[in-house]
Amino acid sequence: MSAEQQELFERLAIAVFELDEELAKKLSQEVLDRGYDAWNAVEFGLLAGVNRAGKLFDEEEYFVPELLIAADAMYAGLAILRPHIKAHLTGFNRKVVIGVVQGDTHDIGKNLVRIMLEVAGFEVHDLGRDVPPQKFVDHAIAVKADVIALSTLMTTTMERMGEVVAILKAQNVRNRFKVIVGGSPLSQQFSDRIGADGYAPKAAQAVDLAKRLVGLVNAA
Amino acid sequence: MTITIRTETREELTSLERVVLALQYKKPDRVPAAPLVCGASCRVLGYSYDRWSQDPKIAVASLLAAQELIGFDGFLTLVDLSVEAEDFGQELIFPERSTALPNFDNPFLKTADDYSKVKAVDPRKSRRMATVIEIVRGLVEAKGKEVPTMGFVYGPLGVLSQIRGHAELFKDIIRHPDRVLEAVYTINGSLVEYALAQIEAGAHAIVLDPLYSSASILKKSTWVKFEAEIFKSVADAIRGAGVPVLVHNCGGGVYFDAVLEHINPIAISHAYPAHGSANWEEHAANWAKKVVTIGVADPAKVGHEFNQAQVLEDCRQQIETFKVAEGGFILSSGCEFPPNGNLLSARTMVQAAKLYGRY
Repeated sequence: MSAEQQELFERLAIAVFELDEELAKKLSQEVLDRGYDAWNAVEFGLLAGVNRAGKLFDEEEYFVPELLIAADAMYAGLAILRPHIKAHLTGFNRKVVIGVVQGDTHDIGKNLVRIMLEVAGFEVHDLGRDVPPQKFVDHAIAVKADVIALSTLMTTTMERMGEVVAILKAQNVRNRFKVIVGGSPLSQQFSDRIGADGYAPKAAQAVDLAKRLVGLVNAA
Repeated sequence: MTITIRTETREELTSLERVVLALQYKKPDRVPAAPLVCGASCRVLGYSYDRWSQDPKIAVASLLAAQELIGFDGFLTLVDLSVEAEDFGQELIFPERSTALPNFDNPFLKTADDYSKVKAVDPRKSRRMATVIEIVRGLVEAKGKEVPTMGFVYGPLGVLSQIRGHAELFKDIIRHPDRVLEAVYTINGSLVEYALAQIEAGAHAIVLDPLYSSASILKKSTWVKFEAEIFKSVADAIRGAGVPVLVHNCGGGVYFDAVLEHINPIAISHAYPAHGSANWEEHAANWAKKVVTIGVADPAKVGHEFNQAQVLEDCRQQIETFKVAEGGFILSSGCEFPPNGNLLSARTMVQAAKLYGRY
C-alpha cells in the first residue's frame, strides 16, 4: 500500500472518529476516484475509525451519542464503497440475524452490537425492534444465518427470547443456529434457563461470543 | 369457644411511619421493604395490563390488593415511561400483557425540524398524566394514613426520547443541541405542573426519573446541560410545596454527585452501584450516608430467576451491606418489579426485611 493510500485511509478513519459524516462521504468518493481498493478503505479507514470510537466508548471518553454518530459516518462511507468491494474480501462469510424482541423498542444496545459485529466482519441482518419470535426464525432460515442475536431492555419481554428457542426446537432447526442474548435485565442464569447458547453483558463481549460460537475465536 | 389464631406478628409502626423515619436516617422498627410493584399488581385482580394502565380505578384497586397481599411499605405510581409522551402527542401501543410503548414507526417528532411541534400541555386535562394523578388520589384516599404514596415524573429528556426515538434524540443532542434544549424546556414546564398536581392529589413524595444521568448513556456534562439544569426546577417546585424529592434511575453508573448537586433528592432508588464505585460495598461506603438508598435487588433475578431461599439470602446480603447507612436504607428492587415476575418473591422481600432488618 502506498503512502498516499495510507494517508487517505487515515484521514477517512479520522473523519469517522471525529464524527464528520460529510467528510467520510467525500473521502470515500476520493478513494474511488483515485482507483484505490475499496475494501482496504473500509478496513483501514471506516472500520479503523469506528474501532477507535469504540475504544473511547469503553474508556468513557465517548458515550452513546458519539458512538451513534461515528457509526452513521461509517455507514455513509460504506454506502459509497460497498458496491466496489469484491465479495470474497469482505470477511469470513458468517451471518447474524439480530433484533429487539417483540414488545420492546429500546434498540440502542442492539445497534451497538450490530455495528461491532459488522466491524468484526459478520454479515448482519438487522430485523429492527419489536420483532415477533417467529420472524427471527423465519429470517434466520431464509438467509441461512449462523447466529440469532436477541436483545431486550425490559423484564416484560425477556420471555420472548425463550419463545424463539422454543420455535427453533418445534421446527427441528435448533441445531442450525447459535442463539445469543443480551440486554440489561438478563443474566447467564436466564440464558441457561431458556436454552440459549450464550449471554453477553456488554456489546463488545457479544462479538467475542459470536466469534467463539461459530468457531472463529482467532478471527480478525 | 372462640379460638383466635394470630397469623402474623403485629408490627410496631405503620408503613408510612417506617418510611418517613428511614428517609430521615432515623432507624425505624425494621428496614422498610418496598419492591417496586407497579404493573405487576394488575395480575392480583386479574386485569390485563392495558386496562390497568389506562383506568385509574382498576389501577388503584389492583395496587391496594397487591399491597394487602405482599405487605410492601410504599406505593409508587410508575405506570410506564410513555405516560407523559402520549400527552405530548406520541402514538402508543398498549399490549394486553406488557408495558405500553411508543410506536416508533410513527414518532411524533419525525425529523429534527419537528422539535418545535412540542407544545406545553396541562397534565390535569391530559389523558394519561391525569390518569396517574387519579391513581395517586385513589391510593391516598384509601391508605394515605398508613402507606406512603410516591408520585412519579419521568425526566424531560426521557420524555423527549419517547417522542423522538432514543437513538435519534441522542444524535440530535450533538447535531441540533438548541432545538433539543428548546423542547426539553417546554416539556419541563409541563412536568412542574404534573408534579404539583400529584402533590395536590395527596402524594407523600415525588420520585423523579432522570434516566440519562447515567454513564452507560451520556457524558456527565451532557446530562447536566440537557436535563439536570432544567429538571432542577421540578425538584425545587416539589420542595416548595413541602414534599420530599426522591430520584429513581435504573441505568448503569448513575452520576450520584451530579444528581445530588442538581436535583438534591433525599433518597435515590437505583439498580447498580454509582458511577465510580466498583461494587456494592464500595458504593455503600461512598454514598450510603450521603443519600438514602432505595434498592438494590436485581429485578430480573428476584422476579424471574431466584427461588424463595435465594431471594431471602439476596435481601439479607443487601441489608447487611447497607447497615452502614445507619437507618437510611429501604429494601427494594432496583427497578420496577417485573410485571410478569413471581409475586411471591416480592412478598419474600418483605419477609426478608422482617427477618433480617430489625433495628
